[in-house]
Amino acid sequence: MAVNLKRSSGEDSDGGKTSRRRMLGWLTGAGLAGSAGLSAVSNFVFIKPRATYGQPQRFSVGKPEDFPSGTRAILAARGICIVREGTKLAAISITCTHLGCTVGAADTGFACPCHGSRFDQDGNVTGGPAPRPLPWFQITLAPNGEIEVDKDIEIVPGSYLSL
Amino acid sequence: MSPATPPKASFLTALTDLPKNVWKSIFRNPLPSNDLERSSTSFTNFFLHIHPVKVHKNSLRPAYTLGLGLISFFLFVILIVTGILLMFYYVPSTTQAYDRMLDLRGSVAFGTLLRNMHRWGAHGMVAVVFMHLCRVFFTGSYKKPREFNWVVGVILFLLTLFMSFTGYLLPWDQLAFWAITVGTAIAGYAPVIGKDIQFLLMGGTSVGQEALLRFYVLHVAVLPAVLTLAIAIHFWRIRKDGGLSRAEDADPVVSLEAAPADKASVLEPKKLYGFQGLVRGPLPKVGQIPDNTVFSWPNLFLAELFTFVVTLSAILVLSLLFNAPLEEPVNALHPPNPAKAPWYFLGLQEMVSYSAFWGGIGVPGIFVLLLLGTPYMDRSTKGVGKWFSRDRLLANTIFITFVVANIIFVIIGTFFRGANWAFVTPW
Repeated sequence: MAVNLKRSSGEDSDGGKTSRRRMLGWLTGAGLAGSAGLSAVSNFVFIKPRATYGQPQRFSVGKPEDFPSGTRAILAARGICIVREGTKLAAISITCTHLGCTVGAADTGFACPCHGSRFDQDGNVTGGPAPRPLPWFQITLAPNGEIEVDKDIEIVPGSYLSL
Repeated sequence: MSPATPPKASFLTALTDLPKNVWKSIFRNPLPSNDLERSSTSFTNFFLHIHPVKVHKNSLRPAYTLGLGLISFFLFVILIVTGILLMFYYVPSTTQAYDRMLDLRGSVAFGTLLRNMHRWGAHGMVAVVFMHLCRVFFTGSYKKPREFNWVVGVILFLLTLFMSFTGYLLPWDQLAFWAITVGTAIAGYAPVIGKDIQFLLMGGTSVGQEALLRFYVLHVAVLPAVLTLAIAIHFWRIRKDGGLSRAEDADPVVSLEAAPADKASVLEPKKLYGFQGLVRGPLPKVGQIPDNTVFSWPNLFLAELFTFVVTLSAILVLSLLFNAPLEEPVNALHPPNPAKAPWYFLGLQEMVSYSAFWGGIGVPGIFVLLLLGTPYMDRSTKGVGKWFSRDRLLANTIFITFVVANIIFVIIGTFFRGANWAFVTPW
């Protein structure tokens, strides 16, 4: 009994043309691969949450009187530092721009305990691996007299709210 | 022929023979006493049949393999068993996880011991898998035809690291929280898809309940399944690639051409023979070829049993002597200062303290690509099967340089970094 070990060439006996069998094979393969790809994509869509739970990004932090001139108050739960100098008020992020640790107050400004990034009083990088200065967030005075911080809006560092 | 026994008697016989028959239906072979039975025992037993019936003496030399691959596997088995047991008491919830750790310590029988075994087993597995990788490199065992199994091995090493990373997040102590924070932030530095990966890993924009649940699922389901599959491929390939690597001179060169032409068949390459052509005459060399293999039963199996007992004993002793650390409960407001990763990630942490992208993505990525590409770049077939062969001086030197560099980074990170990651001297 002879066993045919010749690989099918994809050409019919006339030569040159893709056979029907070969064409159907390609279509089947493309269909299966496409289905597998679609399944993979839909799985990723599934594990990517549509709604997330988290802290509100816009909140009030109290009245201006709570922060007398010269205050540098770290509100760790909000992830910001409220700075007041005279009549000027600002909210600086205390989330390190390197890898997201919470920076602490240091003599010269802020310092990160995870990888040693250092920032000055205004959040500018003075050392370590941090790629960007600490962002400043928009700060406004609400009609009820409370200070409102919006962490979704970053403003140019150095632009204070004047009371 | 004895006369037919009455049905009642045969039933009684069936009853009395029941234990013997049940035993025989499970184990087809008696304890082996000759070579045929040794072969049968190896290939009729489900758990033994992944081994060859006979194994090369070189594969059994402890000085050659150091048993590192086996130890890695046994540590994985210990981790699976202790991990499943720990799952009975663990809840992946930010409000409960830490309390469950305290329960394990305080009110669960053997809770402390099991957690210790799981922790030290994990540390041991990271170390031993890495040493196994070094052994395979230094003996040139990644070379043809074992290139792909080396690739599987590198993937297994990465999976081991990812397993341990997802694992130490689960106690939800300070180490856990800041490790997730930093680890997912590193992923965020990956080009193009980094931010999406970070979002998928955390299940949100900040580290919390969703992140803990995701890392739990990865740790107890996804990664073990992938790891088990990769281990199965790794083992299967060992057999298909001809067993463990060995030097060329480990086997005598046998020429079949000297066979007398009258009876014995002469095997020419690429010529097909029917079975009859093969068996027509005895190959005169059969029986004269020095046999460097021994039966797996008992040689290999005893070696494996010995390795398992030593591995388990070591983990038990470590777990009885040292308690697995548990840091303070999560304080999302204040990272510990300094916030340090476990020792095997401190080299990485030291590197990201220079640059998040290059330390966390760039350099490790290049290192992994180099590892994966090694067998396809180093095509020389020389120096296989010997430790530190002189034929492999260049490759070994490059590899040692990388290893030493990483060890130096680990040492700096461990001993020379203090508050705010400032350089300190340990004395």
